[in-house]
Amino acid sequence: MTKSIDKILEKTEKGILLDLENSFSNTKHTLDDSTPKLEQEYDKIISDSKKEAVKIEKQIIGSSDLEARNSQLLLLEKSIDQVFTTALDKISNVERNADYANLIKNLLDESTKILGTTKVIISTNSKDKDLVQSALSKYPDAELSSEPITCIGGIVVKSKDGAMKFDNTLDARIQRLKPLIRKEIATKFGVGN
Amino acid sequence: MAAKGRIVWVSGPAVRADGMSDAKMYETVVVGNSKLVGEVIRLTGDVAFIQVYESTSGLKPGEPVVGTGNPLSVLLGPGIIGQIYDGIQRPLKELSKVSGSFIGRGITTTPVDMEKKYHFVPSISNGDDVGPGNVLGTVQETDLIVHSIMVPPDHPGGKISNIVSEGDYNLETVLATAEKDGQKTPLKMYHRWPVRKPRPYQNRYDPTVPLLTGQRVIDTFFPIAKGGTGSIPGAFGTGKTVTLHQIAKWADSQVVVYIGCGERGNEMTEVLVEFPHLKDPRSGKPLMDRTVLVANTSNMPVAAREASIYTGVTIAEYYRDMGYDVVLVADSTSRWAESLREMSGRLEEMPAEEGYPSYLASRLAEFYERAGRVRAVGSPDRDGSVTLVGAVSPSGGDFTEPVTTHTMRFIKTFWALDAKLAYSRHYPSINWMNSYSGYLGDIAKWWTENINSDWLSLRSEAYGVLQREDTLKEIVRLLGPEALPDEEKLILEVARMVKIGLLQQNSFDDVDTYCSPQKQYKLLKLLVEFYRRGQHALKEGASLSDIRALPIVTLLLKARMDIKDSEIPKLDQLDIDMKEQFKSIIGVKVSN
Amino acid sequence: MTAEGGVQYSKIAEIKGPLVVVDDVENAAFDELVEIETKEGERRLGKVLEVGNGKAIVQVFEGTTGLSISGTSAKFVGKLMEMPVSKEVLGRVFDGLGRPKDGLPDPIADKFIDINGEPMNPEQREYPKDFIQTGVSVIDGMITLVRGQKLPIFSGSGMSHNILAAQIARQASVVGTKDDFAVVFAAIGVQYSEAEYFRRSLEESGALKRSVLFLNTADDPAIERIITPRVALTVAEYLAFDLGMHVLVILTDMTNYAEALREISAAREEVPGRKGYPGYLYTDLSTIYERAGKLNGRKGSVTQVPILSMPSDDITHPIPDLTGYITEGQVVLGRDLFRQGVYPPINILMSLSRLMKDGIGEGSTRVDHGEVSNQVYDAYSRAQEVRALAGIVGKAGLTEIDLKYMDVGDIFEKEFLSQATDENRTIEETLTLLWKIVSKLPKNEITKIKDKYIDQYYQEN
Repeated sequence: MTKSIDKILEKTEKGILLDLENSFSNTKHTLDDSTPKLEQEYDKIISDSKKEAVKIEKQIIGSSDLEARNSQLLLLEKSIDQVFTTALDKISNVERNADYANLIKNLLDESTKILGTTKVIISTNSKDKDLVQSALSKYPDAELSSEPITCIGGIVVKSKDGAMKFDNTLDARIQRLKPLIRKEIATKFGVGN
Repeated sequence: MAAKGRIVWVSGPAVRADGMSDAKMYETVVVGNSKLVGEVIRLTGDVAFIQVYESTSGLKPGEPVVGTGNPLSVLLGPGIIGQIYDGIQRPLKELSKVSGSFIGRGITTTPVDMEKKYHFVPSISNGDDVGPGNVLGTVQETDLIVHSIMVPPDHPGGKISNIVSEGDYNLETVLATAEKDGQKTPLKMYHRWPVRKPRPYQNRYDPTVPLLTGQRVIDTFFPIAKGGTGSIPGAFGTGKTVTLHQIAKWADSQVVVYIGCGERGNEMTEVLVEFPHLKDPRSGKPLMDRTVLVANTSNMPVAAREASIYTGVTIAEYYRDMGYDVVLVADSTSRWAESLREMSGRLEEMPAEEGYPSYLASRLAEFYERAGRVRAVGSPDRDGSVTLVGAVSPSGGDFTEPVTTHTMRFIKTFWALDAKLAYSRHYPSINWMNSYSGYLGDIAKWWTENINSDWLSLRSEAYGVLQREDTLKEIVRLLGPEALPDEEKLILEVARMVKIGLLQQNSFDDVDTYCSPQKQYKLLKLLVEFYRRGQHALKEGASLSDIRALPIVTLLLKARMDIKDSEIPKLDQLDIDMKEQFKSIIGVKVSN
Repeated sequence: MTAEGGVQYSKIAEIKGPLVVVDDVENAAFDELVEIETKEGERRLGKVLEVGNGKAIVQVFEGTTGLSISGTSAKFVGKLMEMPVSKEVLGRVFDGLGRPKDGLPDPIADKFIDINGEPMNPEQREYPKDFIQTGVSVIDGMITLVRGQKLPIFSGSGMSHNILAAQIARQASVVGTKDDFAVVFAAIGVQYSEAEYFRRSLEESGALKRSVLFLNTADDPAIERIITPRVALTVAEYLAFDLGMHVLVILTDMTNYAEALREISAAREEVPGRKGYPGYLYTDLSTIYERAGKLNGRKGSVTQVPILSMPSDDITHPIPDLTGYITEGQVVLGRDLFRQGVYPPINILMSLSRLMKDGIGEGSTRVDHGEVSNQVYDAYSRAQEVRALAGIVGKAGLTEIDLKYMDVGDIFEKEFLSQATDENRTIEETLTLLWKIVSKLPKNEITKIKDKYIDQYYQEN
């Protein structure tokens, strides 16, 4: 009886030992196996974070380049605006001499030609009122509006039926040329081409 | 007297001008300060409705319109071959000299170099009486083209005097003078012809000679004859353009006119880049030496697209009159129809189906009617042909739309492209069940005389297999292939082999891109033989898997690429091998 | 046209939809730029669609909401619509009409260019053949993109087209020549979040400084969308052909563009073609798409990837249909693949790159590229047939070879097609994967590849 118990015990023990051994070797195997996997995983983490770092670096460089450029653009624009303001000031205070009277006459000729009629109402600022009035002598159909407008100089011409209007103030003319003038100024600042 | 008017209205390519009571219908006019080219397409009172062949951006009412007194015409003379023109025959190369990489406006050029000298060999003498169409002499235009200088078809002709002796002359030189009823008229190397008026001919023949394109599915299954008409409709991505390019490259005609009508710019560039390097398989000379391109791409002015078809076909007729076989490929007639629709809309005409004008069908008929094999006017006798192949781009791939349905009424060969085949990369994706050719009977004689008398019956047998497969496919779709008996499975197998080994053709493979009629016949025969032997083997007790396992199967499938046109005997060897292999499987069964 | 220009007309005859009809107009040109001024002094831009007999029909880009017959005036500016361009447009954000949207001043123009462009002379085009490695296997391997090509993405609502386009824009930039590369992005009526995704994606890859963005989002005026792709392409052409850069233009979503065009056509009471779209939709689209290309003797290129969402995934709808007839192929996204979570969900059988044959092979990718990709198309198409068959007869009813094709289908989708959004594969990696797929087949099934390449690359199992 005891013998058989011993035998059973012995058998069990052997079984347990074998199991242990097996599981040990299995574990070892798994460990061996997983080392390269772990290394791979490790490498992947490193490379991923490297990628991430490169990405961030690119991003930082890219956006700081851009920011620098953009503040330069703003600065340039400020200078351009200053030049403009000064120029406009100068123009609005220009002496109303014979040259200027000639200019008004040309503006008037041009405007009536573009509108295709001389039956027009002319508006201008209070400063140029008299000059315009005298230039109108050539155009019996035209009349000067009693309402002065705000502008630095020049005229606005409207057909009497009110259907057409041509803005020939100096302001409007400068506005039309602004992109070209800006380029001119920028070039003077050494920016652009 | 030339009309002089004033623009009163502008909307896109359409312009109305008043003061035009002297203008004639279809007269060419010069529009606006930038001198754009236009054509009168309707007259109401003194108002002319004009389609303008160039962009009208910036055009203003009040600008002048001046008539030229002439209808829209092309200049016909040596120097046309190898050119690339826009829709109104302005050479694109010359345009680029003026306006650079982009197309400018209001540029006038001559279609050919008027100063270039050609070596003229007269074929008539002083005192000869000539009539319209008579050949005065010839010049060598390109290595491939001897260009006959003809009395213009609308010329009175008369007694020849002052004919120049053989020598080098430019286009403006008066080569001879013809005198009739006291009227003397000079004859030069060129003349002009109005594009909307078909050039006359003496006689028309039935088309009986196949136009060989080197494309198996065309030549063997759905052939077109010289002087015939064909159409390729297909949704986008079905390989329409590749198929058209293949025809332009390999067709056995002497002249090819390729019209890119409202299509992609890069496709024309591709032809320009590729053709000078490709050699005509018969003459060994560059393909460009026989090709004329008319390119009015989709983003170029839409009115000139309408004109491009007529410009192209008039040039084709001119070379036909010299006795050449000419193929004209028009890609795409749908875009041409759309330009008709757009102008019609601007004219505020009553629309028919899908907004197309009611005269769409008659315009298509007129165009395809300009195909034909003819005896040219005047002596000596010259027979030439114009074969017309038009692509159709049905919207949504729907063959019931107006352009496709009308076109089908006027053409005899129909190559239906199939998106499903294209998706499975079966190229050319010509659907064998929906396509047809009305020339099969007419041209069988040619195959009998030149290749073999059993061509037509082999073709029918192979086509029969494809038809059987089409019905069997339904059963397979429902029950799976195993439900079929071996005899029918053999049909599926042979149909697969016909599809891969014969119908499919790789246009980008150096060997496969062109297939001679001899090779086509042998491949067809091999596959039909395979079918016959397979049937026999099954009767003798062999199984289908035995047949499928034969090494010859793969060889037959690859023969189109592996065996060159110059190696026809190798195909005969395949036949011998096939016979042996079939013998072996029957033998096995018997010994068992 | 006069340089002074600028007569203001105040007799408005009619306002309908996006159109304003002005009466008693003496001096206006077809296509001329128009400034509309409202009673309140607000200014809107437009252009002349039709002029004559004292009338001008003006299309107002910012819409006609709030305009009235009295008090509205129209100034004919005396020039066509132009875009000021210079190198400094890079890194800038503009609205759909090309006006600054980033708080910075107008660009100081090197040139003013008519936004309609002029058609390239086909004789002056250079045939596109330079391979662009996008790092996306299925594109590089089977729908190869080349410089100067126009290759649209046909998508459906909600699918991952923008993610794919952004990945192409990021990755395509890194490989190739030393020439400068630029991205021009035009948002046409898309949601703000989509446009923002794109901007951020460019920023994160550091590409923003060589990008130009034009944003017309869903809440911006619809008619403005007619202009957005045109200003974008005007800038692209300048960068490419004046400055010699390789420009990738992404236009999303062209369906919104076509809808704006339909709106104008309807307001003009034109005879419609299919589904109410104007009969000239094809021609109009071509004036956008054909602005891709390369030119003889110039360094740069314009490559276009327009994106369009197919209404109810219908490829026969006029917008994808006409687009497909103009572009050089198409990349079609598949709803099934998208539902299965595959990215990029490209339906390879419906996709195609027409210029692929010229961009691949010896000297650019590898000599076997064309044949192996043909074989894979063929095999995947067979795989789809077998899958359909298996649905009917069950797997048991399939032959051994059928089962092999099933495998091919699976590997194709799982290993080759599927890719992470930041995974950038080289062309060699892509070709190896293609051969891996082909090698699942027994050699006698390989009918499209020459034996010498099979001997060299076939991987025995």
